[in-house]
Amino acid sequence: MFPPAAKQQSPIPAKAGIGLRFQHHQAVLDTDPDVAWMEIHTENYMGGGTPLRYLDAIRRDYPISLHGVGLSLGSAEGLDPAHLERIRRVAERVEPAMMSEHIAWSMANGTYLADLLPLPMTEEALAVVCRHVDQVQNYMKRRILVENPSTYLRFRHSTIPEWEFMTAVAERTGCGILCDVNNIYVSAHNHGWDASTYLAALPPAAIGEIHLAGHSVRSLPDGSTLRIDDHGSHVIAEVWALYGQALARFGPVPTLIEWDTDVPPLDVLLGEADYAGALLASAGQEARRADAA
Amino acid sequence: MPTLLELQRAMRASLVDRNDGPAATMLAENVPADRLNVYRNTFVTGVTKALRLSYPAIHRLVGNDFFEGAAGLFIAQHPPCAAYLDEYGADFPQFLRGFQPAASLEYLADVARLEWAVKRAIHAADVEPFDFKRLDALPPEDQVRVCFVPHPSITLLCADYPVDVIWRGVLGGDDAALAGVDLKTGPVYLLVERRATGVEVSRLDTAAWHFAAALCEGRPLAEAFAEAGDTSVEVQLAEHLAAGRFIDFRLAPCDAALTASLETVP
Repeated sequence: MFPPAAKQQSPIPAKAGIGLRFQHHQAVLDTDPDVAWMEIHTENYMGGGTPLRYLDAIRRDYPISLHGVGLSLGSAEGLDPAHLERIRRVAERVEPAMMSEHIAWSMANGTYLADLLPLPMTEEALAVVCRHVDQVQNYMKRRILVENPSTYLRFRHSTIPEWEFMTAVAERTGCGILCDVNNIYVSAHNHGWDASTYLAALPPAAIGEIHLAGHSVRSLPDGSTLRIDDHGSHVIAEVWALYGQALARFGPVPTLIEWDTDVPPLDVLLGEADYAGALLASAGQEARRADAA
Repeated sequence: MPTLLELQRAMRASLVDRNDGPAATMLAENVPADRLNVYRNTFVTGVTKALRLSYPAIHRLVGNDFFEGAAGLFIAQHPPCAAYLDEYGADFPQFLRGFQPAASLEYLADVARLEWAVKRAIHAADVEPFDFKRLDALPPEDQVRVCFVPHPSITLLCADYPVDVIWRGVLGGDDAALAGVDLKTGPVYLLVERRATGVEVSRLDTAAWHFAAALCEGRPLAEAFAEAGDTSVEVQLAEHLAAGRFIDFRLAPCDAALTASLETVP
């Protein structure tokens, strides 16, 4: 579909992985943890030196997914060609098994706003995102996944439900969807949506990966509460339950535990991954039973 | 209905310039300012953290509150212009130099310049030194026209204060070393680079620093030799080459002035 294909590692299995953070580089090399794959933030490996040396060693034993946070797929001003090239160079070195980015924007007027900002859910924004996903897939010579965002505000002129927006991007560009179950839970709370409805509207065949993370709850001066996707704690029970629904609908999908603030010891992440792994295994048995029946 | 471009510029005005007006009219929220504040905080906190990681000694020297105040002003004046935050903050030393509240710490901007050089060394691309055989293969008349390309981790830094001692003392928590700092000892000439074992900051004597600086600026070998006017520079050149400080070279065009200066080559 995207000729000629870029070199990449063998595919990531439908098992649990962890987000690899600098704090854990040495521990991963020392302990060779029992986890199926790892994901890195592309932007953290754009220079040389120590991080790349660790990654070179770790990628020999684990499939790697490159997860970008800075490409700004939703920018009206277009993609930054220099950033696109930086990503391509990291991909060339790592030959990742998967690559992903976000349905969000972060560049305006030449300023990088250092966050995954919400898009208005409009036909114009959809067209911009699709054009940029096409551009990225052609540049990288491979399919990418796009992740649904956590958002804390909505725009008056939005006309498309977010789940339809995600589906349309996948249908129009051939990209996959990185379904962040925590983000669905967070945004559903923040905007009064039904999380199960959201999940049920996503196309199972397009789901290439699932993200799980912790979030925090903040009270606003107006008395409302916002759930904030800060990746700084355990996955909560309600999100695990939603993950169960996701697996029932999508079947087993590579699933990542993300933890970026107050990063705990590696064992804590592995514990979360083990739990996701157990749910994945039973979802796999369910799927096989269903096939046999 | 605002276009996507109008919306994104309105959000930028809210986050960077603290002007919520245009964005607030586009939001479907009861209290738009509260929601915009969440994003503004993430922006300022995230970029401040990037600065703190680049300037850890400055952070310790001035304390967290002062640092966050200075960073907030700096970010408003020089917001990041690319999603690669490892390259953000090059202007911070210059900003500190003109920052009145820090005027009593006259060495602060120079310490920041050193930290920026260290940060560049940490993140510089991995590049191999060139193969010496290429240099040996050149006829002698061409060797003097060689202009080196330095490894991207290298900075030659001259500062008015003993910033290397201050930097090490602050990051190492070495109060005795800091107590012994005399700000009036005159300029220091530093070479900052990444070695296999990590980033190194070393002092050079004035002449050796100027020679290294000439080579790293890509000046032709004959010119660098002539300026140094000292036989020890051949040894220094050999050391630079052995240390892998150059990743490539090109040949300067032949010209009469350069050829004339050959006569003074040691």
